Amino acid sequence: MLTNRIKISIASLVGLLIFLIACNSSSPLVQKSPNDIDFAQIPYPLLSDYGFFIGEMKDLVANERVLLYEPSSTLFTDYAEKSRFVWMAEGASASIMDNTWQEIDFPDKSVLIKNFYYPDADGGSRIVETRLLVKHEGKWNAYPYLWNEDQKDAVYKMTGAMLPLAFTDSYGRHHEIDYLQPNKNQCKSCHNQNEEFKPIGPKARNLNWDLDYGNGELKNQLQKWQEMGYLNNFTAAENYQSIPSYKHEDVDLNFRARAYLDANCAYCHNPLGPGSTSGLMLSYEVSDSSQLGYFKTPVAAGLGAGPHTFDIYPSKADSSIIVYRMNSSEAGVMMPELGRVMIDQEGLDLVSAWINAMK
Amino acid sequence: MKNNKLLFLGLLSLTFFACNDGGKVDPKDTESMYQASPEEVEKLIEDFIMVEEGGTITIPAGFYDINSQLILDGINNVKIIGAGMDETILSFKRLTTGGEGMKIVGDNVLLQDFSVYDAPGDGVKAQHCDGITFRRVNATWTNGDKSKNGTYAIYPVQCKNVVVDECIASHSRDAGIYIGQSENIIVKNSEAFGNVAGIEIENCDNAEVFNNNAHDNAGGVLVFNLPGLMKADARGTKIYDNEIVNNNHENFASTLAGNNGNAVTQIPPGSGVIILAAKGVEVYNNRIKGNKTVAVTVASYQITQFPFDTSNGWSPYSIDIYVHDNEYERPAALPDMSKELGQLVSMKNAHGPMKTQDIVYDGILNPDRGTDITTNPMNICFKEPQMEDLHFNYFELTEKISDIKAFKDYSPFVCEQTIETNVSHLMQR
Repeated sequence: MLTNRIKISIASLVGLLIFLIACNSSSPLVQKSPNDIDFAQIPYPLLSDYGFFIGEMKDLVANERVLLYEPSSTLFTDYAEKSRFVWMAEGASASIMDNTWQEIDFPDKSVLIKNFYYPDADGGSRIVETRLLVKHEGKWNAYPYLWNEDQKDAVYKMTGAMLPLAFTDSYGRHHEIDYLQPNKNQCKSCHNQNEEFKPIGPKARNLNWDLDYGNGELKNQLQKWQEMGYLNNFTAAENYQSIPSYKHEDVDLNFRARAYLDANCAYCHNPLGPGSTSGLMLSYEVSDSSQLGYFKTPVAAGLGAGPHTFDIYPSKADSSIIVYRMNSSEAGVMMPELGRVMIDQEGLDLVSAWINAMK
Repeated sequence: MKNNKLLFLGLLSLTFFACNDGGKVDPKDTESMYQASPEEVEKLIEDFIMVEEGGTITIPAGFYDINSQLILDGINNVKIIGAGMDETILSFKRLTTGGEGMKIVGDNVLLQDFSVYDAPGDGVKAQHCDGITFRRVNATWTNGDKSKNGTYAIYPVQCKNVVVDECIASHSRDAGIYIGQSENIIVKNSEAFGNVAGIEIENCDNAEVFNNNAHDNAGGVLVFNLPGLMKADARGTKIYDNEIVNNNHENFASTLAGNNGNAVTQIPPGSGVIILAAKGVEVYNNRIKGNKTVAVTVASYQITQFPFDTSNGWSPYSIDIYVHDNEYERPAALPDMSKELGQLVSMKNAHGPMKTQDIVYDGILNPDRGTDITTNPMNICFKEPQMEDLHFNYFELTEKISDIKAFKDYSPFVCEQTIETNVSHLMQR
């Protein structure tokens, strides 16, 4: 009797196991496609539900028409590595707008996919989060996904998360931090132009450079988008601005620093951004020295001003509020105020060198 | 030896003011309160994300230890209601990123009956709202040493139709109730204490500040117009029926003893009302008492000695100011010597060194309007009962400190004018 029961339970356990394995393996068998996304149902509970990646999720192998892109100058996020992809529904295309920033006007059913990951000790990487920006019915929306420990999938997490991380950055330094995934509404703290949600990186002037697409394909990103049907009005690279990478040391210091400020500050510090309250404007094209912070007193900096009088004190980086706030990781003092818990040492060095070189 | 004694006395008085913040220093004993569970905190963050137009977010009584920001993102007609300022406490002490604890964007939003503690940066910030009401909201910092206190407690900026009613704002390093770059404003029935500035109206149009109690700040009520902002040309503020008393708190706006570029770091402790580069301000029926340096100061931006840019139409001068029918009482205390403006008043006033002053006008003139101060080209009017008993001064400021002169003669400034404000449409909010 007893042995029978044990046999039955073993049998049912085995059955359950088989069932579980079958269930687990079913998702790679039926490969999902972004073409099947029902935009009214977003956010899906799992990142894999969208079908942006094929095979093992953690390998982030792009599905058909899921296209890698990279802005020339990028936002610092605690030394995280990032990979970005764009996807648009079949037949839809974006256009480059005729405005200062050369913004891209995306069609409905556009998705921007940004993965944040860190290299781990055994040569692989630990993906932390994936943020989706989805355009639906004329509006952008942000959906943060947090990756599971086992790296098999990522789960929609609107309230954000804090996770302890240990990693070695690309400069070989070891760090231990409490990484912060923002909550859904914090996304808008940066993605905000006149209280309308906007993408930041994909502007023509940020994409107007040659990206390595693999298999020997080195191509201007705007050209590639046009060829794929993702852009409908690209003419030729020389007709658009091109902001350089601030990491390219052969570029003039002034351009590098301005590219850094554009990518890391100007999304808020522009006349339509939340940082407009300060009167400090840091977009690449700003030429008014007072708006740029030269001998400009702060407005609402509070503790963030430290002992300093001016946002930028030309030739005195150590007496400039911009540098003081970049060199802090204390909430209420640090800038940007969100999206990092660490100091960007290389960015700090760059902006300091730029200010010190001012006459 | 004599100097040492003086220094010792000075230290004593500093300690006294640091400890005596005006009664309500001790934060509520939050440990014995109901502590919201991590699930309840997460639910609250989620409520701010999921609320729909016209919805209400109810925050039950309890102490909420929140390590994320609460953000309302562009949803209109939302009410956010706690169980009371002493019952619902939102603590942001553990927030490690983000510029404020709570951020509100949306039209016709009501915030009511809760407290915000210890947010890095600002307590509650509202930006680009048309219709924002703070009612019985308490924003404060509970750190004893103030080194971590935030900038503004209650902070609507770039808004229209703002009401702050029955609120409490305390212990901020800048202004407790700070209305910036906004239009159509009422601040009433509120208390601001232990801040550097109690209530501040900055680059705003059409504001009325009444029935408030601004006490034990470094400066009680400020009307400022700062350069370099998109809202450059602001006009129209009335300050009436307020208690503006004992604003003798040390100025802890800067991390170091000196000033930094924030104008507020220059406020001499002991200031009642300061009008700086403002246009169209009326100050009347207030009880401005016990402020040890100056009860009412009217100044132009040049007094800060900061550089400024007028290319956007901004003007550094205070113009069209009318101060009348207020009650004054000079305390038995020495005026401030810690700030340059305090030193100027203490040492150079027309009534004798180290005497508290009632009204100080810096006398800085826009030469386009006139160069003879006795013709009152900036249209600055003072009409107080018993004007002759007040310590009134206007200055003739010069580069060389020894040449600075002060005058007691108020006769050029005894005049009346009409300042236009209209906030009647906000009275029922």
